[in-house]
Amino acid sequence: MSDEIDLEEIERRALTTYNEDGLLDIFIGGYLLFIGLMSFTQFEHRSILVSILPGLGVLLYNEVKKLVTYPRIGYMKFTKERRARVARNSIIVMGVTGFVTLTGLFTGMGAPESAPWGVLLINKYNLLFQGGVLAFIFFMLGKIMSVERLCRYSVLSLLVFPAGYLYLDSPYVVTPQNMGTQCAIIGVVMVGYGALHLRRFIVRYPKEV
Amino acid sequence: MTIPLSNNLPPVNEIDRLIHEPARLLIMAHLYMLEAADFLYLMNQTGLTFGNLSGHMTRLEEAGYIEVEKSFVDKRPNTRLSLTDAGRRAFEEYRKNMRGLLA
Repeated sequence: MSDEIDLEEIERRALTTYNEDGLLDIFIGGYLLFIGLMSFTQFEHRSILVSILPGLGVLLYNEVKKLVTYPRIGYMKFTKERRARVARNSIIVMGVTGFVTLTGLFTGMGAPESAPWGVLLINKYNLLFQGGVLAFIFFMLGKIMSVERLCRYSVLSLLVFPAGYLYLDSPYVVTPQNMGTQCAIIGVVMVGYGALHLRRFIVRYPKEV
Repeated sequence: MTIPLSNNLPPVNEIDRLIHEPARLLIMAHLYMLEAADFLYLMNQTGLTFGNLSGHMTRLEEAGYIEVEKSFVDKRPNTRLSLTDAGRRAFEEYRKNMRGLLA
């Protein structure tokens, strides 16, 4: 009997059900869409707004989860060890990503002709660099949180960002609009896919009366 | 025909019968992997009916394996379950014994 109980499978199923609602996709996608739209505005404090929004998003996400998910599938809490492991790994991924992104942006933006070849390469192929960073974030988060969909967005990022070379006006120049356009495309796909999942989730798990 | 008993028989009598029942084993396994879960979540994940789950929950609570906390969430009754330390130890012991038995 003991062999028939696969504890890892139980944990995996718990995670899958918990994230089946598509809210994660909607919130991350919404944030990317917001970054995309903000890059086309002249709003003075847009960088502040973009940096504080994830914090507000997490609060809102938890509230929506309480309204939509828990009344349908019930409430569960992962063990302290698991939560600590996820938090630690997420911080490491975000730290590494932040460092790489900032280094890339600072070295890439407005690099003179005499700059080292690596800097010039990032400057010229900034879309590839940005797509790679976003793909890395999605892939790592997908693995850490055991949400396979996030790994699919990793592939999407690797496709959408390089595709910008085909239709953007000046893809070899680092501009917020270039990055914004690509983020908005991924954001729209994520919100749409998330909404589809949410609809399925609501139909599959009707609210207990 | 009689089958000779071996001296190396696995400790069958050491298997916790309370946990060995499939539905209770499933409940214990879920709670082992989580810090806490409510009634609705366990119903969804185990496929047990309300009455079934309620009965097994009572047996496990009486044995001191699980802790049941009743409260109100948004004016609705909510029953939250978690494994006690004794329950966690008993589940680990059960798994160890079963592995020994099936090896």
